[in-house]
Amino acid sequence: MCASCGYPAAPGHWTEAGAATAPDRLRARFRRAQVLKAMLQGSGLVAHDGGLVPGIQLATLSGNQTIVPDLEQVWIAAEEMTGRVIDPLDPRFWGGDG
Amino acid sequence: MIRLIPGFGAGTAKVAEPEGRIRLTLLGGYLGSGKTTWLRHQLHAGTFGRVHVVVNEAAEIPVDDALLGGAAGLTVLAGGCVCCTGRGDLVAALRDLCDQRSSVADSGARIERIVLETSGLADPAPIVAALRADPILARHIVIGEIVVAVDAAHGLAQLSDDPLGRRQVEAADRLILTKLDAVGAEAIARLQLALRSLNPGATLSAAVMGSWMALPEVPPGTQPPTLPLLPDGDAEPLLPVRLSLGPEPDWAALGVWLSALLHARGDQIVRVKGVVQTPAGRLLLQTVRRVVQPPEILPAGEDRGGLDNGIVVIGRGFQPQALHASFRHFLNPTVP
Repeated sequence: MCASCGYPAAPGHWTEAGAATAPDRLRARFRRAQVLKAMLQGSGLVAHDGGLVPGIQLATLSGNQTIVPDLEQVWIAAEEMTGRVIDPLDPRFWGGDG
Repeated sequence: MIRLIPGFGAGTAKVAEPEGRIRLTLLGGYLGSGKTTWLRHQLHAGTFGRVHVVVNEAAEIPVDDALLGGAAGLTVLAGGCVCCTGRGDLVAALRDLCDQRSSVADSGARIERIVLETSGLADPAPIVAALRADPILARHIVIGEIVVAVDAAHGLAQLSDDPLGRRQVEAADRLILTKLDAVGAEAIARLQLALRSLNPGATLSAAVMGSWMALPEVPPGTQPPTLPLLPDGDAEPLLPVRLSLGPEPDWAALGVWLSALLHARGDQIVRVKGVVQTPAGRLLLQTVRRVVQPPEILPAGEDRGGLDNGIVVIGRGFQPQALHASFRHFLNPTVP
């Protein structure tokens, strides 16, 4: 939002729409980090969101790090850092044969 | 004045919300499908209230604007389709409109809605993407609905041989069959079945010269038409998959899962629609291809048809069982 007049409110990322109060937002961030961790499992990436600083931190096992503002950027950064797309329909997640 | 906005950072928008964003209705449809006729009647009937109409014509010489009296304002963008070559003009015109609207002090005198009538050559999805991507328009405009007119007489032929006709239908929230008086009952029934198979998520209604009329029932036993594969079109028919979120939906997990899915498979997932109850309210979730519209807060307790806490994913190129299994895996409360 404009620092002078407070208008208009910056529309946040759509995934952040589910929480309206500060405690709900924090709870949602922790839950988001938890599910993100599950989805990044086996990709060579680790996500961290401690709730203190804005953004989601991503790191490779070799130490390459970045901070991204929202989930959309997570998947773009993950693709850049690992060289492949993380697909939730990948059978390795749910034990299917594709 | 600094004003605290409920749900700040949440990207939410609802009708007459404090942020004061304006709703935009995108009106699309094939060349000659009856878009202007329908819109002219709606303007005459006052359906949209104080509305500013933006008309795009791919031809250099605008024709449609002469037909559209009744709007509070009219902008004509001629000489380029706004989904491709004229996209810059569209963004500039809408920014101007937002500027003008913001400069009206009396909120009761501001325009209430923008109707964007696209040219018959436009694919709605890139337009939605352009409006979401522009930093100014994203803060001023909320896309309310994508309405697509389908000519009852020629619709089936267009869907049979032009991938553009199919993309327009697939992007719609609401399909309006026009020119019903020009064709027989069997042709209407077959077209209805074709539209249902292309876009199972859209509501279907009918109009003649812009006036609403009842959609004829599809007689039992009517065979749906077989739409041929198109050389540069999509090979498989669209498939709707309904996923239930249970009584206590996990919005955060849904966000992670769906954002990853759209990143990985945005070309295959044509639409996602759903209503999800969250601590911030009942949220209407809608996507067009990779673009997710800011979730709108719906009034509480109006669950029509039991659609709450579920999403419908409409797309092709994936196995429904894989979608179900992945959804169950990641939206399981015990993850990880």
